[in-house]
Amino acid sequence: MSFSLKKGETFGTAQIILFLSIAILVIVVAVPVLLIFANAFWDNNGNFNLHDVMNVLREPDTYQALLNSVIIASGTTIGSTTIGTFFAWLVTRTDLPCKKFMKAMFLVPFMLPSFIGALAWKMLLSPRAGYINRFFMDIFNLDEPFFNIYSYLGIVLVEIMYLFPFVFIQVCGALERMDPTLEESARISGAGLGTITRKITIPLVLPSILSGALLIMLYSMAHFGTVAVLGIENGIYNIPTLIYERIHQSAGSFESIRTGTVLASVLVVSAAFIIWMQNKILSKGHFQIIAGKSFRPMELKLRGLRIPLLVACCTYIAITIVLPTAVIFLVGALPTYGMPFTWENLSLENYKFILFDNQLTKDAIFNSVSLGLSAALITMFTGVMISYVIVKMKVRGKGVLEFLGMLPFSVPGSVIALGVILAWSGKFGINIYNTVWIILLAYIARYMAFSLKANSAALEQVHDSLVEAARACGATMWQALKDIVLPLVRPGMLAAFFLIFLPSLRELTVSIMLYAPTTRTIGVAIYTLNEDGETVVSAALAGVALVLIITGQSIINRFIARTTKG
Amino acid sequence: MRRIFLVVALAVSFCLSGVIAHSAEKMILYTSMKESLIGAIYKAFHEKHPDITVDYQSAGAGKLMAKIATERQAGKILADVLWTSEVPDFINMKEEGLLQVYKPKNFDELINPFKDYDGSFTAARLGTLGIVYNTALAKKAPAEWDDILQPPFKGAFGVANPALSGTAYMSISLLVKQFGWEFIAKMAANKAKIGKGSGQVVDDTSSGELLGCIGVDYITIDKIQKGAKLGFVYPKEILVVPSPVAIIKGTDHLKAAQAFVDFLLSQQAQEIVASEGTLPVRSDVKLHPALKVASPEEAVKRSIPIDYNALKTEKQTTIKKFTDMLQGK
Repeated sequence: MSFSLKKGETFGTAQIILFLSIAILVIVVAVPVLLIFANAFWDNNGNFNLHDVMNVLREPDTYQALLNSVIIASGTTIGSTTIGTFFAWLVTRTDLPCKKFMKAMFLVPFMLPSFIGALAWKMLLSPRAGYINRFFMDIFNLDEPFFNIYSYLGIVLVEIMYLFPFVFIQVCGALERMDPTLEESARISGAGLGTITRKITIPLVLPSILSGALLIMLYSMAHFGTVAVLGIENGIYNIPTLIYERIHQSAGSFESIRTGTVLASVLVVSAAFIIWMQNKILSKGHFQIIAGKSFRPMELKLRGLRIPLLVACCTYIAITIVLPTAVIFLVGALPTYGMPFTWENLSLENYKFILFDNQLTKDAIFNSVSLGLSAALITMFTGVMISYVIVKMKVRGKGVLEFLGMLPFSVPGSVIALGVILAWSGKFGINIYNTVWIILLAYIARYMAFSLKANSAALEQVHDSLVEAARACGATMWQALKDIVLPLVRPGMLAAFFLIFLPSLRELTVSIMLYAPTTRTIGVAIYTLNEDGETVVSAALAGVALVLIITGQSIINRFIARTTKG
Repeated sequence: MRRIFLVVALAVSFCLSGVIAHSAEKMILYTSMKESLIGAIYKAFHEKHPDITVDYQSAGAGKLMAKIATERQAGKILADVLWTSEVPDFINMKEEGLLQVYKPKNFDELINPFKDYDGSFTAARLGTLGIVYNTALAKKAPAEWDDILQPPFKGAFGVANPALSGTAYMSISLLVKQFGWEFIAKMAANKAKIGKGSGQVVDDTSSGELLGCIGVDYITIDKIQKGAKLGFVYPKEILVVPSPVAIIKGTDHLKAAQAFVDFLLSQQAQEIVASEGTLPVRSDVKLHPALKVASPEEAVKRSIPIDYNALKTEKQTTIKKFTDMLQGK
């Protein structure tokens, strides 16, 4: 980019954009995170106090919660990685029947919010009343339940069901793009299947497997919903649920926020470590696996296992997707929880109630939709601006921005929630705690990472020469941006929009800490209704949420299919 | 591109303006009462006083207090009237001088459970807790508190989490006061469970996950009316939890707030309270048939007396001790 033609003006626009980008990231992300560290390590008198931090960590409850987060996240990561890799291999490298359909089905859990899954599994497998447990106990006359979902294993299994697509997508992508000539040449040279798998295939897809696994680790450590629904009953807390309970117990006063900030600091540090690992792995595994030509990779003949494996996949899908969804809709149709599913008992009353009569649920749906739209739009535009500075501009001070841009990737939702409470409840003269604005700010901070990722990817593909050509023809910086860059990155911006809008429709971890009487989101309404014992109403609302999410997703899929074709 | 920007800007402002449009000038009530109860009262009040508009926000008492705390920090409490079941909150607010003294005009007709009543807050409802049991699974109905310590309820009796529910905390603290910590130790020995909210233990009892629980009257009665197989009994010692109503000091709508409090304590509004399955604070109101107690006065007489100051100061330690005992730590 030449600075010589209209130096003054270029400098002006560039500096303004840079300044704005840094300001936004500092205000939205850095300040809350810094305040968390400040609150954790400095006491009320402003002295650095490591002693208190150690005391908080040594407290049995907090120590146990930390341990639980690690146990649950490790179990979930190992399980999801195994399942995700296996299914990915099955649908890309074997002659399994209906592979396309299977691949689409394995991606469905991506859409289902895991806390709704957890609610469904609670109804199916709670020790005495769970429908599956009762079924087996009645048939075999058992005294003990078939499976107790209120356990570490139960939590881990439910999280695996809804998180494995993270690995599945990554590994599918790697296997599909992998240059099959590598394997073929090994085969021609006389290597057996075992050797090829061990020496060629696994090393090539390992980076994808690991980066998917770390993503799951990151997500699961800071995940609120599943543990809140299934763990609290048996005293199993992880970090986010403990923070939630402490803050709830003290009615939002700041006494217990210290414990919260210490735990949140631990989360941030471990998340940063995970991200660092991921980058290291990705940069190390820099194999040229994308070969421009598309060969058909060799497919393993499953022979006699073809049908059994197909049946196994279908059973897996039926159990993890169809069964929980069905139970949510059915329970949502009961007048009160605990009644049998007979035709007389089922009705659409609850659905009518939440959509038309109940202010709380109507508010929640409205809030989630408008928060999602606003957060997605704002984040989409700021994201494209910030990515532009990071990817394209050559200005001083960019390094700061690169660092700040990495921050949203490593800050979990519950930490953001705690941070915005600290920052925006009057400390700097602005008090928006208990209003909808604080949730909006938190959403922007939380989803900025998605927008930066999608927009950077789109911007990398816009060659500098295009802007230079426009500038050489006399266009101003602003004109070049508006007429050349923005139209070219529009697909990236749209992707960012949807990547933010849909998850925010079902968001729970952040909004559960920030909601006020009129600012419940759908996730909060489902969770609190369930906690209040309105099981059937919360199930009905979960059903409505599922319909919203799935409709949204299919509109997007159709939309993306059309834009990529055109 | 400019058109897109314009559309986007409009969309954002539309979405957000919708969210904040709630806060128009109105008399504001913060309450932890159930939507159906507050909705019915709101409707009746509006028919009687069409000139006053009431905007109510309902949420758990903890949420409401958190909101009030931040509003205080910002300079002004938005609520004009507060109606929850957390008496300790009202005592705190009274001590901090946040409550407007107002003795309702029909006060003499009311049942008053507070000994040192001074008009800061007035009971507008008497919530009760009893033993809830699953009628399909329990062989014999429980009758006394001791029954929940017996083998039929082993591993299947629930109490709501006192850290999440103020009513649950109050019921535990009253049981400890009446029967001592031995009672809790015996509950632990019988493997009683800590659930989540006060409603959820009742739902779990209805589904058969639990055989019984300590349950709130109106929650249980609502589920029984919808067809749940539940029974609700009062042991000799009843847990009575008053729900006070108070006017916030410095309100701009004092007349409206006073009219609302007077209405809430009138026969008409108390009949709505009673029809939801809770005890009214008037003796001239017919009780819900599912409540097996002769009159509100009798319930108050049979209730375990509450030491509100102890309730306030011992909260953290009681919850911790109770949770540790039941979770076997």
